[in-house]
Amino acid sequence: MDHILSVLVFFPAIAGLLGFVVSKESIRAYGLSVAAIEFLLSLWLWLSFDGSYPGFQFVEVLPLIPSFGINYYLGVDGISLFIVVLSTFITLIGLIALNVEKDLKNMIISLLFLEMTMVGVFVALDAIVFYVFWELSLVPMLYIIGAWGGNLRIYAAIKFFLYTFAGSLIMLVGMLVMAYLYYQATGVWSFSITEWHRLILPENYQIWLFVAFFIGLAIKVPMFPFHTWLPYAHGQAPTIGSVILAAVLLKMGTYGLVRLPLPMFPDASVYMIYPVAILSLIMIIYTAMVAYAQEDMKQVIAYSSISHMGVIVLGTFAMNPEGIAGSVFFMLSHGIVSGALFMLVGVIYDRRHTKLMSEFGGLAHVMPRYGTIMGIMVMASVGLPLTMSFVGEFLSLAGFYQVSHTMTILAGTSIILGAVYMLSLYKKSFFGEVTKEENKNLKDLNGKESMALWTLVLVTVWLGVYPKPVLEPINTSVESLVSFMHKKAITKEAKEVIKPKVIEREAE
Amino acid sequence: METYLYTALFAPLVGSLFAALFADKPKNLVTGIATSTLLLVSWISSVVLLLHVAHGEEVHVKLMDWIHAGGLVIPFGFVVDQVTATMMFVVTTVSTVVHVYSIGYMDHDKSFNRFFAWLSAFVFSMMVLVMSDNFAGLFIGWEGVGLCSWALIGFWYHKESASWAANEAFIMNRIADLGMLIGIFLVYWNFGSLQYDVVFEQVADKEHGLLMMVTAFLFIGAMGKSAQFPLHTWLADAMEGPTPVSALIHAATMVTAGVYLVIRANPLYSAVPEVSLFVASLGAFVAMFAASMALVNRDLKRIIAYSTLSQLGYMFVAAGVGAYWVALFHLMTHAFFKALLFLGAGNVMHAMDDELDIFKMGGLAKKMQWTMVLMTIASVALAGIYPLAGFFSKDKILEAAFASDHYILWTVLWITAGLTAFYSFRLVMLVFFGEERYKIFGFHPHEAYRFMLWALAPLAVLAVIAGFFEHNFVHMIEHILPIEEHHISALTFWTLIVVTQAIALGGIGFAVYKYSKGGFSKKWEETFVYQLLFNQYYIPKIYDEYICKPYGELSKIFWKDLDLKVVDATVDFIATTIYKSGMVSRVVQSGNLSNMLRWMGVGLLILLLAAIFYSPVR
Repeated sequence: MDHILSVLVFFPAIAGLLGFVVSKESIRAYGLSVAAIEFLLSLWLWLSFDGSYPGFQFVEVLPLIPSFGINYYLGVDGISLFIVVLSTFITLIGLIALNVEKDLKNMIISLLFLEMTMVGVFVALDAIVFYVFWELSLVPMLYIIGAWGGNLRIYAAIKFFLYTFAGSLIMLVGMLVMAYLYYQATGVWSFSITEWHRLILPENYQIWLFVAFFIGLAIKVPMFPFHTWLPYAHGQAPTIGSVILAAVLLKMGTYGLVRLPLPMFPDASVYMIYPVAILSLIMIIYTAMVAYAQEDMKQVIAYSSISHMGVIVLGTFAMNPEGIAGSVFFMLSHGIVSGALFMLVGVIYDRRHTKLMSEFGGLAHVMPRYGTIMGIMVMASVGLPLTMSFVGEFLSLAGFYQVSHTMTILAGTSIILGAVYMLSLYKKSFFGEVTKEENKNLKDLNGKESMALWTLVLVTVWLGVYPKPVLEPINTSVESLVSFMHKKAITKEAKEVIKPKVIEREAE
Repeated sequence: METYLYTALFAPLVGSLFAALFADKPKNLVTGIATSTLLLVSWISSVVLLLHVAHGEEVHVKLMDWIHAGGLVIPFGFVVDQVTATMMFVVTTVSTVVHVYSIGYMDHDKSFNRFFAWLSAFVFSMMVLVMSDNFAGLFIGWEGVGLCSWALIGFWYHKESASWAANEAFIMNRIADLGMLIGIFLVYWNFGSLQYDVVFEQVADKEHGLLMMVTAFLFIGAMGKSAQFPLHTWLADAMEGPTPVSALIHAATMVTAGVYLVIRANPLYSAVPEVSLFVASLGAFVAMFAASMALVNRDLKRIIAYSTLSQLGYMFVAAGVGAYWVALFHLMTHAFFKALLFLGAGNVMHAMDDELDIFKMGGLAKKMQWTMVLMTIASVALAGIYPLAGFFSKDKILEAAFASDHYILWTVLWITAGLTAFYSFRLVMLVFFGEERYKIFGFHPHEAYRFMLWALAPLAVLAVIAGFFEHNFVHMIEHILPIEEHHISALTFWTLIVVTQAIALGGIGFAVYKYSKGGFSKKWEETFVYQLLFNQYYIPKIYDEYICKPYGELSKIFWKDLDLKVVDATVDFIATTIYKSGMVSRVVQSGNLSNMLRWMGVGLLILLLAAIFYSPVR
């Protein structure tokens, strides 16, 4: 299986095309089996991945436009491997729990296309290929929100599309400049990200390019003040759309930060730590407060996503292995946990066609199994130890502590404010007496929902107790990334701030 | 010994998971019995370990690596030394009793199974807390007990007050946990490890300022769990939970976690006298502050909760003046008699259909003789009267404060001892003696099940005799904690004991005298002091008015006025501007030939003008 990555990228798309000829009755089974095969393939990728080797593996290169140095260039390392697995996993889980009757076929085909673009972004090592998948991912999502969304769906879909599209255009300009600078330096064109990593630029160039890349990525994350498209998108998107948006699509932004600006512009990254950290702090505290003010369950989780993404960005800019490995791990745990939370909100929305917390109360009496899983996921979102989120949050904050004491205390308020909005959500909807007549006879989770949700619970706890299988390969790649950045940095400040493994491991 | 360690640790977890399987099923006695049996197993293992480590041994195991990133390596490691073994003994003893007792107490509750699942999960978390060999492991237990406490305070979640109290407890603890987390980060980046042994052996080489920061931040964590001022309000509200929960979590074990942390980190704390003095002063303040609120409260459980708070203050004083072993000793004796007091109160509540107002009780001694005896024993022990357990430990604390020349602390604690005796016997008198006021309210009290009373017997025995093991305890604990030599003369020593006994007996005597004569007049209730104490110094109100409400308001403003009207509106404004400019310039593309020619003329003119003004050859 030399071409496992190509298979992973194009299998869902080809299967999606074939889906047009599959009959309506069997489309669900078809979609499920495609997603399951894709997931198994990604598991195979994980199993045959060498966790002790920090560089790119399963590399594929095929020249596309040689004169401009554009290649079909794929590869995974410890950082991208698990996000690929996360993408295939969440797609499968989302399909299992999928509860759409209208145009089911189109929905499944869109999801399979979306899966292609997601995997494509995370394995692409050529900037153009990366950019193509990055933009393509907007199309199925635009369609999912626009066709299956709520009342404001068209507004939300267009806002989502144009906003992120505008950002990525700025990034595209950055990419073209980068390729040109590479050409100036070496005499040949290249869009290879790994080649770009090796290019050492003067600091002022770095800063401008950093800003170009950062804006494109920041809108995707989404960072304050570019975040307002997200609440609309979540508010209008169908459950499956929100699940994938929160679990995977947002991770493109944070993954991009680790893959592109950090190793490409280490000096600029260090120079920009404080501005970025301040934005992250605003994200963490401000959106946590906004989340508390929400009346709609789904909006609480949407804003909580933004708040948690702030911690991820902060961890990335810690510039040490603890912080970056933590933030990559936090991407995964946020994917699982927020995916599960959106799915849980979907469960109640399917039954009551409302997401307003004031409409509920006492759900724990009526739907005890639902209440249990929600409770577990609320606690995971709050970052309780022995759930996945704790590992990520703890490491991200611990890493950033080395950069700034005060800012980490401020960022740490996320563990307090997170508890405030999450517990009040749980209290308003699940505790108390059942007051509304409509809520008295709600059905508890059905088989599909239980299966999907319990799987997510299992993963959350498993990787919270034993994160090693995932954290170790991430750590290997991150350590080499940080020492690479340290070596590459030209300014004195950057050399000081980027700390490859400060504390030596005890003798083992 | 490893087997015993793992048995002691994991037996409660097994019990919890077993009970959780039946969580949404109707009551099943098996869950209660199975969890209790497993706790007994855990207790036996703990006793074996206690005897094993009594002579200076130590059991240290590593289960597996937990987190490993960069230089940070955190294993699941467990250590049983003398401090841990003592804690394990306390935790398993009290929780076994509480489990057995709860089988009776929760008899009629429809969520019987769920209760046992959470109760055992709590014990597991508490064991992780005391047995971990590093700060991160401690933090797992720390948050775990917080979670279980949340679930158990809010156990009757249909009640608004219960779910509110649960959230309050969790959030307030989280505030403190942030401090703790920062303390942990400081330890990691400066000591390079989170293992206790690695950290403590480097204390001597570290700067004083750093050690101050570390100890201060860790103590913020301790303040939350042990409900010290200003994070104390959650403890009284936590009484919304079932009474066995109050006995186990909010009296005997979880709230002492903060004291445990200070004792555990004693090499750090003894290196920074400033922070230690702060710990002791805050402890003394809380001791008196909480006792004063207990004086006038009418709620059976809240009085005991305030007394817990006050006794935690005593423990912090002991730890703060460097008498760590005394703090641990008082932690142990207090766990026994306070759990006994709470469970006795549980009997009373059962008898009175969950009525909590002690002014509606009175004369219950006739109906509930054994409960009366047990609660009186506990109260005498709490008041610190010889020869009960409370005497030995409390007296040691006063002695330690006096001997370390902290006379102000001593005076505060001395007065508090009088207050403690008074409010304890005020409660006993109002509940068990005097006029039978319950008849007016139509209650029909009855004694608790026989086995519930028997379950309390071990605690009663320990509350009586635990003090006599002081020398054995010292002999064991000196392997790990410093035992300071007091330089006070025999005369001072005996004077201190007499003075303390005198004020305690005085407090009891006053309470008995006053309440056998019908208590205080109504006028007292109208005074400012009474109102101040009765309203808990208005602190809950202040928190609500000046923190919770403004936070809610500000959140709303951020959402409705800032996020929607400024941030988002800006984006939409840019979009509409672009859109509109497109609409406006659309006229240009009308296809009308004469219009086009006109525009061409204008364009040409502009170009010509530009050529003139910007031409290089002027």
